[in-house]
Parts: sequence; C-alpha cells; structure tokens
Amino acid sequence: MKKLKLRPKRIADTFLTYALLLLVSVVFLFPCLWLVLSCFSASGSIYSFNGFFPTEYSLNSFKSLFTDSFYNYWSWFKNTLLIAVVSSFLGTLLVVVTAFTISTFQFKGRKALMKGALALGMFPSFMGMTAVYLLMTQFNFINSRIGLALIYACGAPMGYLVQKGFFDTIPKTIYDAAKIDGASNLRIFCSVTLPLSKPILVYTLLTQFAWPWSDYILPKLLLKDRELWTVAMGLMSLPDKEFARFAAGSVFIGVPIVVLYFCLTKYMVNGLSAGAVKE
Amino acid sequence: MKNNVFRRTLGSIKKLPLRCKEFFKDSGRETYASMCFMGVGQMINGQYVKGLLYMLAEILLVAYFALQGISDIVGFFTLGTVKADAWLGIEGDNSVIMLLMGIFAWIALGFLVYLYFANIKDAKKYADMKAFKKIPGIKDDLAALINSKFYKFALFLPLLGVLVFNVLPIVFMILIAFTNYGGTIVPPELVDWSLDSFRKLFAGGELAQSFARILGWNLLWAFASTFFNYFVGLGLAILFNKKCVKGKAIWRSFPVLAYAIPGFITLLAFKFMFSNGGPINNMIVDNGGKIIDFFGINSKWMARGIGFFVNAWLSVPSIMLLATGILSNINTDLYEAARIDGASGWVQFKSITLPFVIFSTTPVLLNQFIGNFNNFGVFYFLRGDVLSDGYFLASDTDLLINWLYRMSIDKEYYSIGAAISLVIFLITSALSLIVYVKSASYKKEDTFR
Repeated sequence: MKKLKLRPKRIADTFLTYALLLLVSVVFLFPCLWLVLSCFSASGSIYSFNGFFPTEYSLNSFKSLFTDSFYNYWSWFKNTLLIAVVSSFLGTLLVVVTAFTISTFQFKGRKALMKGALALGMFPSFMGMTAVYLLMTQFNFINSRIGLALIYACGAPMGYLVQKGFFDTIPKTIYDAAKIDGASNLRIFCSVTLPLSKPILVYTLLTQFAWPWSDYILPKLLLKDRELWTVAMGLMSLPDKEFARFAAGSVFIGVPIVVLYFCLTKYMVNGLSAGAVKE
Repeated sequence: MKNNVFRRTLGSIKKLPLRCKEFFKDSGRETYASMCFMGVGQMINGQYVKGLLYMLAEILLVAYFALQGISDIVGFFTLGTVKADAWLGIEGDNSVIMLLMGIFAWIALGFLVYLYFANIKDAKKYADMKAFKKIPGIKDDLAALINSKFYKFALFLPLLGVLVFNVLPIVFMILIAFTNYGGTIVPPELVDWSLDSFRKLFAGGELAQSFARILGWNLLWAFASTFFNYFVGLGLAILFNKKCVKGKAIWRSFPVLAYAIPGFITLLAFKFMFSNGGPINNMIVDNGGKIIDFFGINSKWMARGIGFFVNAWLSVPSIMLLATGILSNINTDLYEAARIDGASGWVQFKSITLPFVIFSTTPVLLNQFIGNFNNFGVFYFLRGDVLSDGYFLASDTDLLINWLYRMSIDKEYYSIGAAISLVIFLITSALSLIVYVKSASYKKEDTFR
C-alpha cells in the first residue's frame, strides 16, 4: 500500500532529476562543442560563421598550427609540458607534506603558521610579481623554464587547506595502531597516509599541473624569448582573424588534459578508508 | 582573544629579568662557552658534529656580514646615494636592488640571532642532562628528525620555498608602498622613502573616488559569486549522487569537461561568443535585431552579468567534484541509522549531509572567496582595455586586481599600486581571519573523526 502511494511522487522526482541533468549537460557541453567545431572551419575567421557553426569544414587550421614557424606552436607546447610536469610533482610533494604535518601533529607555532598562511594568501598574488621579477634577475632565472616551474611549485603549500581538510578526516586510530606497531612518523606518512590519500594526491597533482598549464601572467613576465613561450602566451598572441587556429590550438592542449581528468575522476570521487578501522 | 595575547606578552616581559637571573645562576661553563663562540659548548658536551656545524654557521654568517651584509643594511636606509651618470661614466646605485639586498641582510641577521639563542639553549639543555643520562649523538638527532621532530624535517622545504617566493616578494612590495618608486622615478633615477602614494589615495580626487567605487563592486562580486557557485556546485554533486540517476559517470563528465579546459581558453572563447561579429550577435542580426555591444563602454551591468555567469561556468564544476568526494566520505552507517529512526530524505540532508559538507569545505569556501575577490582573468579577457568615465585608468567592471595590474604593470605606478594592495590586504585578511577562526572546522577539528 505504502509503495503504491509513493510511486507517482517518485516518477515525478525522477523526471525532474533527468530534466535538470539534461539542462546542466547542455549548458556545459555547448561551448566546448562550439569550440571543437570551430577549429575545423575552412576560412578561419569568425566573421564567416553561420550562427554558431562554420559554413565549410577542413583541416587547414591544424596544418598551419604545426607548420607555421612564426607562431611556433610545437615549441610552445613542449615548454608548457616541461614546466607543468616539473611543477606538478614538486608542488604536490611540498603541499602534501605540509598539509599532513599540520593536520597530524601538534607543535609550537602551529596555529600561528596557519593564520600566517591564511593572511599571506589574501595578498593579491601578482603584487609580488614585480619583486619576483627582480629576484629572478638576481638569481639569473629570467628566461628559465625551471625557474618558472620552481615559482609555481613553491607557491603550492599556500593552498594546503584543501589537503589538510582531507587529512583531518582520516581516523586517528589508524595512526595510533601504526605507532603501537613501532612505526616512525616518516614511516607512517609513507606507508599509511600516502596509500590512503590517493584521491587527494591525484587531485593535487592535477590542480598543480593545470595551473601552469593555463597560466599566462607569470610566463608573460618571465619568459622573454619567443622560443620559450608557453601555449597560453602563444595563443593570446594570435590575431583575431585566426580564430580557427586559436580554436585548433586550444583543442590540442585541451584534449590531453581533458583525457587525463577523465581517466582520473574515479580517484577524485572515490571513498577513503572504508573498513580500514573496525571499531 | 587579542587581550589575552597582549597580557601574556606583557607577563613574559615582566618575568624576563627573573628568568635571566635564574638562567645564569644554574648555567655551567658550557653555556658561557657557547655564548662566546657558537658551538663550543656543544663540543664540551661531547656533541662534536653539532658543535662543528654551529661553528661553521657562525663563521659563514659573520664573514657574510663583514663583506656584504653591513653595507647592504646601510643601503636599505639610504636607497642609494650616487646617481648614475653615463657622461661621467659613473655606474651609480640601483635603489631597487639595494632595497632587495637590504631585505636579505635583515633576514640573515634574524637567522643569526635565532641560531645564537638556539645554540645557547641547546648547550645548557645537554649540559644539564649530561649528569643523568647519555646525551644523544648526531645519529640520534637525525633519527629524531624523522620521528618526534618530524614536523621540523617535513616543513623545512615548504617553508623555505614559501619564504623566498611568497613572503619575500610581499615584504618587498609592502616596502615599495612607502617609497616613491614608479612613474618617472625608476632606476637609474634614485628612489626614496616617502608617503606620497597613501596621500594620493586618501586625500580625495579621482584616485580615491575610483578606489571606493571599485572596492564596492569588488565586494559585491566576491560575495555573490562565491555563494552562487558554492551552492550550485553542492546542488549538482547531490543531484549526481541521487539513487535514481543511471550512468552517473556520463552525466558527471560534462561539468568535468568544463573543469578540465584551461581557463584562459574558455574565457577567450566566451569573449569571441559575445563579440560584435560573434555567433550571438550573428543570430540577433539574422532575426532582425541590432548588434548588441556586450562588452562595450556603455554596457556596465550586461558585462558584469555575463562575467558572473562565465565565472560560474568555470568554477562550479570544481566545487561539484570536491563536494562529490566529500559526500562519498560520509559514513553510510549514519544514513542507515537515520532511516531506521524514520528520518525523511530532507531531514537526512539537513542533519547529516549539510553539516558534514560545510564542515569539510569551509576552507574551500574561503579559498573560493579569496579567489573570486582577486579574480583577475574574467574581466581581463572578456573586457580587455575598456576604460570608463569617472574612473582613473579603470573600467566599471574592473576588480581591484585588474586595476592594480593596469596601474603597476602597464603604467608602472608601482608605489601607488603597492599602497592600494596593502589596503586591500588589510581589509580582506581581517575579514577572512574572522570567518576562519569562527568557523567550525577550525574550532572542532576532530568532530568527524
């Protein structure tokens, strides 16, 4: 009896849910679709489009993308990859260690450290940039891709709060158990915390990768040689009539990272220590 | 709380003479040896490697100060006395570099003082301990670093990085705010200490008026977009998590797609979409309408609104993903217990899901707020170089950060830019400290353990 009563309500609920899902999907998919179709435009200029979509399709933009040596896309791409990979690994290491330490240990100056980090984070990031520029000239790091990666990586611990929030939810009992078994804190971090932290590790790696991958302010300031430009700078330098080439270049650097995200989403939404501790 | 800190500090200052007296009374020769030369006390204690390290540090630091440090500290105050002259072949002083090296010298000095006191304390501690038990050698000290003092070992590199690449530049820019650096006064001209930029900012005039207007819009923007994005993101996460949704991964992939695309691409694409020759205007014209200049000089609220939704498009997916992760961490027993007790879906949401999610995401919420407050990209890409009437070098969609960028990087008004950023910093950091300290996830870190 009860079941029957619920049914119409449940159907309406399901219907509404799916309608919403559809709407959300269209909102998010449409601009991407538009960009992808645009890169196959034959004429290349946005003025020749019929509404949202190109009138004629061809692969011209991709060809010119890789053959043009003035807009040297291929070298931009390699630069960006190098900077992003180095800063991703280094930054993740720094931020995870910071977050773990602050989450797990009670030590002198801990709260002061947390408040200080928060206050520092409030500063508009690029205001220090003139100073960063001067520093880099002192260290001879202008036009250095590794120097740039180092700046990204060293900025990472400032955003430790997300990771700390995650480590806070790992039950303390696990650590106590490891300690009773005689593990040192370093050991605990390497063999207990890290394996439990796959979701947040992946999240951190990705965000640390995505930031340099799409940043344009710092490269613009520090990489003066055209040879050393990143994709973001290169794409911004493309003139208006090259809209299709912009779209093609965007799709080309967009696709790897999109694929990466999709392969790894399951880590990002997976549950954590289900059943690790039995009470 | 402030009062407490104040009282404690005052108390410890009052007790200082007494503590010093006690300290000297029961100090042995090891302590005094360390006072004369760092590391000697450790040597007497039998900790040779540590002693040697302290000695080496003292020699290096003193050598640095003799050769370079002291003149750097003098340069910090004078900011250069000799002006460059190409005719006479005088190289001159570069004020900005002198300021920077001066900061380095101050840091080195602080480090030396810290080491000195740490060394004395250390010598005394082990001298007192020597009588009762075997004192640890260098091996034991290193072993302690990975266990009981793990935090020192772990935080060293991150702190160093943050210090060099975040704190130092910020200190530098704060100091710049109190100089007249910028405009025509850039090296090789000599820069000097001055309060001119603050005077210009608060003494009325176009600059002060623009500042007030931009600040108002910036606050509105930050609050509105943070709350909108947060609740839409949370809503989406819950929507995708519903039991009746089949193929969750597929539905979820659309926002993830938006999340994965680098932000500047999205922003440039949206700019093209709303541009005068872009598809939206194309369609308006085809249907007999007139071209709408979405980001033109007269479309204040239109541009603001488009910026708001484009920003939502960009940031909602990340919040959704994070909320999804957090939702999956909720102990499912809680729901089971609630169901057995007869709680409806809404009650379950209100009393289990929402508190848990808000607890776990307060830091995210704050980060989002700060990110939105300093959201440089949206209007930089969408609106470009529009300048509005009634603003000093700014448009009516500009956030403070866009204004600062234009002032300091494009127009090279460094000291005014630095002064403005100092004022913003004071406002926003105070605001977020209050929120953070009052929030549940700071007060009760262990609630959900």
